[in-house]
Amino acid sequence: MHGRPRKASKPEEEAASAAKAVKLRSLQSQFMTYHHDKIYTKEAIELSTKLLEINPEAYTAWNYRKLAVEDSLSRIGPDPSLVKPILDEELRVVENALKQNFKSYGAWHHRKWVLSKGHSSTGNELKLLDKFQKLDSRNFHAWNYRRFVVELTNRSEQDELQYTDDMINNNFSNYSAWHNRSVLLSSLLANRADGFVPEKKIPDEYEIVHQAIFTDPDDQSGWFYHLWLLDQTVNVESPLLTSSWPSHGSSVILSGAGCFNGSPSNFTTFCSETGSFPLILYFDQAVGGVSSLTVTLDSELKGNENLVWEPISNKSSQVSCVWVARLNFSSQPCGSKDYKVKVRLGNSPGIVSSRGFNFSAPYEFVFTAHVHDPAKDSQERIVSWTDGFELWDAQSKDLNSLVTLGQLNAGIDLKWRQAAIDSEIECFRLLADSKIGKLTLARLLMASEAMMSDAAVKGVHYEEILQLYNDLMALDSSHHHYYKDEHSVAFLHKVTSSSESLSRYLFRYRDMNNLVCLRLNKLSLSRIASVNKLLFVQMLDLSHNELHSTEGLEAMQLLSCLNLSHNRIRSFSALDSLRHVKQLKVLDVSHNHIGKHSVDTTRYLCSSPLSNSDLSQDDVRRQNPGLVTKYWDAYFVLRDLNLKQLDIAGNEIAGDEFNSFVLQVVPKLVWLNGQKPGN
Amino acid sequence: MSETAVSIDWDRSKSEEEDDDEEEEEEYSSPMQSFPGPPPPPSANFEKDRHLVYLEMMYELLPYHYQSQEINRLTLAHFIISGLHFLNAKDRVDKDVVAKWVLSFQALPSNRVSLKDGEFYGFFGSRSSQFPVDENGDFLTHNSSHLASTYCALAILKVTGHDLSTIDSELLLLSMKNLQQDDGSFMPIHIGGETDLRFVYCAAAICYMLDSWSGMDKEKAKNYILNCQSYDGGFGLIPGSESHGGATYCAIASLRLMGFIGVDLLSNDSSSSVINPSLLLNWCLQRQANDGGFQGRTNKPSDTCYAFWIGAVLKLVGGDALIDKIALRKFLLNCQSKYGGFSKFPGQLPDLYHSYYGYTAFSLLEEPSLSPLCPELGLPLLAATGI
Repeated sequence: MHGRPRKASKPEEEAASAAKAVKLRSLQSQFMTYHHDKIYTKEAIELSTKLLEINPEAYTAWNYRKLAVEDSLSRIGPDPSLVKPILDEELRVVENALKQNFKSYGAWHHRKWVLSKGHSSTGNELKLLDKFQKLDSRNFHAWNYRRFVVELTNRSEQDELQYTDDMINNNFSNYSAWHNRSVLLSSLLANRADGFVPEKKIPDEYEIVHQAIFTDPDDQSGWFYHLWLLDQTVNVESPLLTSSWPSHGSSVILSGAGCFNGSPSNFTTFCSETGSFPLILYFDQAVGGVSSLTVTLDSELKGNENLVWEPISNKSSQVSCVWVARLNFSSQPCGSKDYKVKVRLGNSPGIVSSRGFNFSAPYEFVFTAHVHDPAKDSQERIVSWTDGFELWDAQSKDLNSLVTLGQLNAGIDLKWRQAAIDSEIECFRLLADSKIGKLTLARLLMASEAMMSDAAVKGVHYEEILQLYNDLMALDSSHHHYYKDEHSVAFLHKVTSSSESLSRYLFRYRDMNNLVCLRLNKLSLSRIASVNKLLFVQMLDLSHNELHSTEGLEAMQLLSCLNLSHNRIRSFSALDSLRHVKQLKVLDVSHNHIGKHSVDTTRYLCSSPLSNSDLSQDDVRRQNPGLVTKYWDAYFVLRDLNLKQLDIAGNEIAGDEFNSFVLQVVPKLVWLNGQKPGN
Repeated sequence: MSETAVSIDWDRSKSEEEDDDEEEEEEYSSPMQSFPGPPPPPSANFEKDRHLVYLEMMYELLPYHYQSQEINRLTLAHFIISGLHFLNAKDRVDKDVVAKWVLSFQALPSNRVSLKDGEFYGFFGSRSSQFPVDENGDFLTHNSSHLASTYCALAILKVTGHDLSTIDSELLLLSMKNLQQDDGSFMPIHIGGETDLRFVYCAAAICYMLDSWSGMDKEKAKNYILNCQSYDGGFGLIPGSESHGGATYCAIASLRLMGFIGVDLLSNDSSSSVINPSLLLNWCLQRQANDGGFQGRTNKPSDTCYAFWIGAVLKLVGGDALIDKIALRKFLLNCQSKYGGFSKFPGQLPDLYHSYYGYTAFSLLEEPSLSPLCPELGLPLLAATGI
């Protein structure tokens, strides 16, 4: 790699810069000698000053100065009148360096280091900062240093809040000042400083941010702050239970493997080979500590004294929104019988959110389990997604026996929150002709719906929300996909907002115990939401949508048939969440994009689970390591499912080789692409 | 020539995630500065051959820079060599010469006992922070191994397919653990320095590349990262600081490397994740400005490198489909130099830093002539070398 002649530049430039370089090199090598020999004489220190004046980023020189200061301090003792000049000199060098390069990490760090040595005149620091911050009000080094000085000097957060007032009034688009305001206000609210209670302060903050937004609606600073305020208004710290299965007051019919005919249509019939059924708890945020100690069960069903609760999460994490325990019903005496089950939680502490807040509002729910003897073995018939559906019975329009659609714990202070949201909605209807105005209005309306408990008015906003997102998709094509996702979320919230709207999409699947089927096909959904309201669904048709992944469906522990055909699934990894759905027997992923995007499959090579040595070697891996490496994403999902029927036709990956691989991984498969394997 | 500016550029090794300063990366400016005249009209294509010429010239020039005692040469070398691999031109690199050169920057203790003294034995930025062995054979009076230099050194070795098992990774990792602070952050160098997300990322990438997490306490590092998430969903460099594109990349890529977040984070219910993905997504998408480019912070001009920093975050959380790719491509092409390489802003002269992140950005956009990208490492995906 040796020299190739460089392009010529003007001779005089060359000469000047060469001379400069020679000088620097000699300075530098002299400095390195001092540093190496630990020489901290006046002359040596001045040399480092010179270097830093030329290049404030020279971190070796800053480090040398720290050693030099330590050296001087160790020789003079604790006399403040001797210490001060030494530290003053350091501050002077830093200030000069900052004049040269305002963004020098090394210089700012050196200043912090000097202050932490106990320099007394910290009052000057804020003055210096005021000067710097006037020159560049967005410099994040200066803001970080400001927070450091404030902490060091115990300056009050309220004074600092006033400073952000001044900065913001001076220039509404100073994002850094808005940011600092959020930091200060969070801390003041968390510590309940005098007068700083959310129900008072948050509405005040809305007023302040309105001035910025209405002065310059094109500036993002105010909008981000507004979004943060909305978050503060909507989110409640303590975790809440949002739903459960079975839900309060419901009845379920439980039976062993096989077909149980003639079940009344307003009950869920659940058949299980293992003689157990899932009890699902769905929280509004990820929690840990769900166990037989924190959730108590009063049940006539025997053999459930020490329930094991498992978090349903894709990581090996011990926190999750969804927790499941399996209740045994097979050890009951023969003959049909009803059993009452009462579940209580929140009576003893232990359920804690990942942010450290306790589940505190005690809650209990009761359901009835009808246990039936197992019926005769069923034949393994193919599930067709085209017929066999019966409309939802008009009499069972009232879904209360299956699901609770309202809020469970309304024990939070909603009043000021609703009032704040309502006044914001009114205010932002005025700005609804701009993109960000529409987006904010849509978010406010969603927040309003989330807090509404009055069934009579619940759901009134959804048409408007959907229209806003439609407008946005047309107006702002570069964020089209984002709006589309939000549109899907709003649509699913709408569907699950009342039993009337939900029952429009519900069916019974005749051939399999009158399975409860939800058909959300051909709705151009790009995201799944509201799963907490759909825990009772056993058969789900999501075909002809625009879904990329099944994330979220893992909570649907009753799901036995899933149709994802004609979507945008790009790899089996996107189906990873289904590994938690042990009940799943029928899966249709035909006509997706699996295998089409080689890039995405390759990228997993660096984090492929195959490299994890903890994984046990099974027969498939031993016999066919090549195919496992090639189709590892399919391998990891399929081997954990108990599928009887799989459809993968119409994907790039489909073909004889892949089909035979599937049959090795899932030997119990009865139907593959509509045919019995081996025929 | 810009020779002088380059020669004392002491701290560039730390700046690779650095921010939005006009002067900041000037030092990387190429010898092309001597070409006068207005910028040529932008090409409508990714000009692979010109980039190849540009990088090759940089590659050839390395020895000259060496003479001028340029201090963060490992970082520059990483941009050149990894850049050549993005351009699928690994044949232009003499793998063995490069490996030998990189390994010569490694810091080693005089004996294993001195490990206990809290020093870090990684790689230093360049010769001028390396001290000669003195008469007693006493090596390393001041060991200035730096986390960013170490990341760059390992990146080069990894990309060129050097067998990393020849490195004493236990020594490197155990000594690196000395740099981790109680709050989970890392300082870059054992004698001290600012601690922030840049060095958490370097440490995570180092552990990942050496395939061992003995170099850090992952839980602590995770908690530090989570403390850096700001109210708008982005991440600042230290807890309480303003969201910043580079810091957000460091946060998300580290969480991914450490295994705390998976693919398709966005489709997850936001509350079940360790971070707040919906706010993060919102913040990231708002960084794409009207000109199609990405800005590092709100109300700042678009800059080539943030197409990678923010684009990679979106890729890592499964939100890359939401990028306006046509507009981004157009912006990047405006920053593509006629002579090869990319500049920070449209119409300026190219530099190595922005060129490298221009290549990564085009790779993210799935430019056919480029090697695909491993977003969490910021390196080309090369099946042969296990990346």
